Amino acid sequence: MKNRWKALIAMTVLAALAGPPAEAKDMFYYIGYGVIQVIDGDTDEIVADIPAEGWLRETALTRDKRYLYVTAKRHLIHKVDLEARKVVDTLDLNGDGWDRFVYGFDLAPDGKTAYLSVRGRTTEGGEVVVTPPRLTQMDLKTGKTLRTLELPWDVATLTTVKDGSMVYAIGKDLYKIDVSGKEMKIVETYPMYEKQMNFLPFWNYSWENGGIFMANYYTPELMGLLGINKETGEITDTPLNGIPVFAYSVIYSPDKKKAYGVMDELNVIDLTTNTYEAIVVNHEGTAYGINVSTDGLKVYLAGGGSTLTIYDTKTLKPLKVLQMATDGMDLRRVTF
Amino acid sequence: MSNKKTIQALNEKAKAIEALADGETETVRALQDGPPGMPAGCTTVFDTGWETNPRPTYPVGNCQASARDFHGCAGDCWWPAQTPDGLTNHPDMDQQCPNVARDWRKMKYD
Repeated sequence: MKNRWKALIAMTVLAALAGPPAEAKDMFYYIGYGVIQVIDGDTDEIVADIPAEGWLRETALTRDKRYLYVTAKRHLIHKVDLEARKVVDTLDLNGDGWDRFVYGFDLAPDGKTAYLSVRGRTTEGGEVVVTPPRLTQMDLKTGKTLRTLELPWDVATLTTVKDGSMVYAIGKDLYKIDVSGKEMKIVETYPMYEKQMNFLPFWNYSWENGGIFMANYYTPELMGLLGINKETGEITDTPLNGIPVFAYSVIYSPDKKKAYGVMDELNVIDLTTNTYEAIVVNHEGTAYGINVSTDGLKVYLAGGGSTLTIYDTKTLKPLKVLQMATDGMDLRRVTF
Repeated sequence: MSNKKTIQALNEKAKAIEALADGETETVRALQDGPPGMPAGCTTVFDTGWETNPRPTYPVGNCQASARDFHGCAGDCWWPAQTPDGLTNHPDMDQQCPNVARDWRKMKYD
């Protein structure tokens, strides 16, 4: 008992010496055209521009939050140093007489390799030859392809799950691919097409979304949310009640009691009843991407046109509109 | 060509056209006949055009304003007939027009 008291006192003293916990700081990265713009989440001001060639698309963050990988023009992969705020390396998948198109990109947990969904195109005898998509594991330092697996024609997006031992590739259906062994292989298919689920899962916010890759889908009757727990691989399907709203992308509130969706409106979804709680027209127009502040007090709409609108999540009134340098594709949050 | 005849050539011109097709092999097929079964090349992903209107009622689901969807449609070749084809013919269109609402006058493409 005496030792337990000593330990408790020691822990209290150490905690006092350590001072209050450092406050999380949100930085937002606007994925634009030829540029990534950095927004300080405290002031909601643009604080830096990071030039990056091409029309930018997928993003993936290393675990130490030092590097953001961004695909561009469907064949470039930029490595962005978030501390130095510059592109430090670029891989080009084109070459050897082949055009290659990246439609899915995620990092392996060690950040040294990445999994890509790649299609190839060349010409033979004047005829166009297009290869099916291939799951490709690539060494990010050398650009060397380590191994490949042919995928069904419909596959586009992918995400790593279960600490990198699996890859889930999404097309008409969801394909679970075991990548833990020497050979990569599809081990299970999660049916979506026969359920009439129609997807456009190009925006997902797994690292801002509590580790859940989430995308909305439509059937002829409803909108739903499909979530993939990146840690466990579990898939959750949440059909929503009521006339579907229209959304390109969705994200949870930090407490996961709500979800926000965006296209022409900011949509608030009550996840206790799976109903639409509010639909607010975004007067700047269509946005592709959405994100939330770590404290859940602000929601950010961006991409599509060249504006970024910040809403108060309590009043659903716009707090600020930022005029960005270019049109955009997405907005990612990194919390330091 | 299918052997199944649903119409019959009656005059010389129609017979000449029919003769042109003799021995012709399949050059076009419906996407659902597969493989590949889905569009490949330009429109490469599974998207049946849901943004035209998933709602059973008003409002329809098109982007507001359409300029805000221009780069999304162009870069990935989503609407290759209506916007510059970003995968093959106009991969650098974003450089001349990075902000469509502001820079649309600078746009040059066929």
